Amino acid sequence: MKPAEYHLTENPRLQRWCGGIGLAALLLCAVGYAANPVQFHHSWLAAHFFVISIALGALIFTMILHLTGATWSVPVRRLFENLAAPMPLFFILFLPVLSGVHELYHWSHGEAVAKDPLLQLKAPYLNQVFFAVRTVIYFAVWTFLACRLRHLSLQQDEGDDHSERLRRTSAAGVILFALTLTFAAFDWFMSLDAHWYSTIFGLYIFSGCVVAGLAAVILLARHLQSRGHLVETIGIQQYHDLGKLLFAFTVFWAYMAVSQYFLIWYGNIPEETIWYHHRWHGSWKVVSLLLVFGHFLVPFVLLLTRWAKRNLAVLAGFSIWLLFMHWVDLQWLVMPSLHKEGFVFSWMDGTALAGCAGLYLKYLGWLLRRSALAPVGDPRFEEAVDMNR
Amino acid sequence: MSSIHQHEQQWIEGQPTFGGLTDQVSALVENKTPRGWYIALAVSSSLTVVLLALIGYLVTRGIGVWGNNIPVAWAWDIVNFVFWIGIGHAGTLISAILFLLRQQWRTSINRFAEAMTIFAVICALIFPSIHVGRIWFIYWLFPLPNQMSMWPNFRSPLLWDVFAVSTYFTVSLLFWYVGLVPDLATMRDRARTRLKKITLGILALGWRGGNRQWQHYEMAYLLLAGLSTPLVLSVHSVVSTDFATSVIPGWHTTIFPPYFVAGAIFSGFAMVTTLAIIVRQVFSLQNIITVRHLENMCKIMLVTGLMVGYAYGVEFFIAWYSGNIYERFTFLNRAFGPYAWAYWIMISCNVLVPQLFWFKKLRTSIPVMFIAALLINVGMWFERFVIIVSSLSRDFLPGAWGYYKPSWVDVGIFAGSFGLFFTLFLLFIRFLPIIAMSEVKGILPQAHAAVDPSAGEHHTRRS
Repeated sequence: MKPAEYHLTENPRLQRWCGGIGLAALLLCAVGYAANPVQFHHSWLAAHFFVISIALGALIFTMILHLTGATWSVPVRRLFENLAAPMPLFFILFLPVLSGVHELYHWSHGEAVAKDPLLQLKAPYLNQVFFAVRTVIYFAVWTFLACRLRHLSLQQDEGDDHSERLRRTSAAGVILFALTLTFAAFDWFMSLDAHWYSTIFGLYIFSGCVVAGLAAVILLARHLQSRGHLVETIGIQQYHDLGKLLFAFTVFWAYMAVSQYFLIWYGNIPEETIWYHHRWHGSWKVVSLLLVFGHFLVPFVLLLTRWAKRNLAVLAGFSIWLLFMHWVDLQWLVMPSLHKEGFVFSWMDGTALAGCAGLYLKYLGWLLRRSALAPVGDPRFEEAVDMNR
Repeated sequence: MSSIHQHEQQWIEGQPTFGGLTDQVSALVENKTPRGWYIALAVSSSLTVVLLALIGYLVTRGIGVWGNNIPVAWAWDIVNFVFWIGIGHAGTLISAILFLLRQQWRTSINRFAEAMTIFAVICALIFPSIHVGRIWFIYWLFPLPNQMSMWPNFRSPLLWDVFAVSTYFTVSLLFWYVGLVPDLATMRDRARTRLKKITLGILALGWRGGNRQWQHYEMAYLLLAGLSTPLVLSVHSVVSTDFATSVIPGWHTTIFPPYFVAGAIFSGFAMVTTLAIIVRQVFSLQNIITVRHLENMCKIMLVTGLMVGYAYGVEFFIAWYSGNIYERFTFLNRAFGPYAWAYWIMISCNVLVPQLFWFKKLRTSIPVMFIAALLINVGMWFERFVIIVSSLSRDFLPGAWGYYKPSWVDVGIFAGSFGLFFTLFLLFIRFLPIIAMSEVKGILPQAHAAVDPSAGEHHTRRS
């Protein structure tokens, strides 16, 4: 086996550029902040969550794979672990949101709350201090889980067997993850419209994260393989299985989206329908329809086939497409509270995304170079790799 | 399908041969009927007679013989419907979703879990049918062309129920039957009387077990599994819309579809576990349905129990967060109102009891899991009771509030539905192979003997 199989030594040019592009974009964002803080904060919230949702999807998958004791997925698990690990970076990148609560959230305006009995009722939950405390808790939980899972897994490379500890961490982790992500979804996105509420909202955000995490892992695996790594480790069977999961969670996303939309449409209570009304106004209507077709119907029909899941170019294409749709989904969730008349693409959407993604990729590249690209010490590793032969 | 390796778990204990396995499972049907079976059948069929008699009474006197009264127009009848439909989810989950997830342990339990599904759906179908009142017009549920151009309301979730449940029943039955075909052929070949030979011969559809037939069979099974998977999710989602499309606080909430599905799988696994424990004990199938199978089922109950607990929590939080006084009242009323006893039974059985399964010692202990599974079934019945009755009994108009009490007919019909369920189940275990012999053989080590041992290649059954 070639040494390159499990080790990334070179620092490709693209990788080197990521950090620079990210920092440059951050500088532009600072200009944007000075020019239009409200737009900046909305752009930043959507862009930040787009990138962290990849990490969150990867984190939940790492835990699920430990809990189910799956063998097929062992060769790709390190990629999930690495995708999830840059959580501390995300906390730092979230600071602009914490500083921009006033620009983003109507409930933080004292004079608005004074006139609004509903917001007064919600004030024990929706207030700036508790919001910040909760955010710190979410990041603490995610950072702890992502770092511990990766750390234990790396120790296995040295020959220790931590399977049991990994399982235990994952079991508690899944519960902590479900709670933190649900409340993060309520806090960051649902409370943008402080009057509106939906019990499925946490699951909706979760489903988007999983799709993003799976799409990213497929792309990362393809990228590494194209550079000559993991070539004999990750085979068509893994891609096929990842493709099936991508398909399944695309359907799951649609199931969540339909459950929410459909029940609100049918109940037809104004305080609930208003949220969709905003998203059916002006060009938001087009974005809504784009999600129906682009995030569900088209990928559903095409990814259903065995051919699409086993044709790596097609699978990678769908991964990119679904990541794009996930970005559209987040725009659709965040922006109607700012641009009520229709979808507007701000240059800050671009720079915020480039900033967050650039630093994330830089961090990811650094993590990838620091350790083996696959959990070579996992007790099931040999068996899993054998399956590809 | 993945190749089998040495350290990969052997699900069947005692290393039976193919023939030994066939003998063991077929013997349950071919042996002389045990006396216990007659006693059990006497009890369950007596209860079935109670069910039929009370349905007759209900049809002649009208549904006023139930405790239902405004504002609680839906009560035990709908509770029982959702309860039985929920139980009917485990079978198809095991046979379809666990099949697609390549979970080999499903083979030991899928046959009777699927049978249980079908019987539970039959029990479920009774309740809405008799709840319509004038059962002789039941065909109006279907969109039949007629001269008056009278159609059911296609926007009504009650109509979707008709379609969803009947589709589910049909597909589950087909799936079960397709899975049975190779085993029916085995039984046919072993049959000693002419009548049995002919009956089983017809049912086995001319199965000879040739390579071609197996190929078609496996493709058909895979397709049916693919088709059944969305059904597992859709049926209870549709059932949840019976409530969630209304505007009643406690019913109208967007998490209902996935929450109902999780609850259905939870209760279904509890029932499968209950039956599996009895069946393996009575028929000495401990080598086929091992403690590890049961342990896996406990894990699924733990996971789905946590999901259900998540939904309870989120509903409660959002009721507060909404700031809507009706939402807030409904949930406080559930927890501390006149039906608080039902609410806390639900919480204890569905959220607290499954936490036992965190401990390996407890989830591998047969008595613990048996009692826990029974309690979960109780809890899941109460969940539907809490959702339906507590929300209705105190709605928007305090002047119309009431306290629902079931009548003896309610109790009798519910008990009778258990009679029907167990009667069908007893007939099944007497006349059909309760373990999917051909599938269990497929996961025995000798089914995966290397094609060419020197090359170290692995024979795969399906790739």
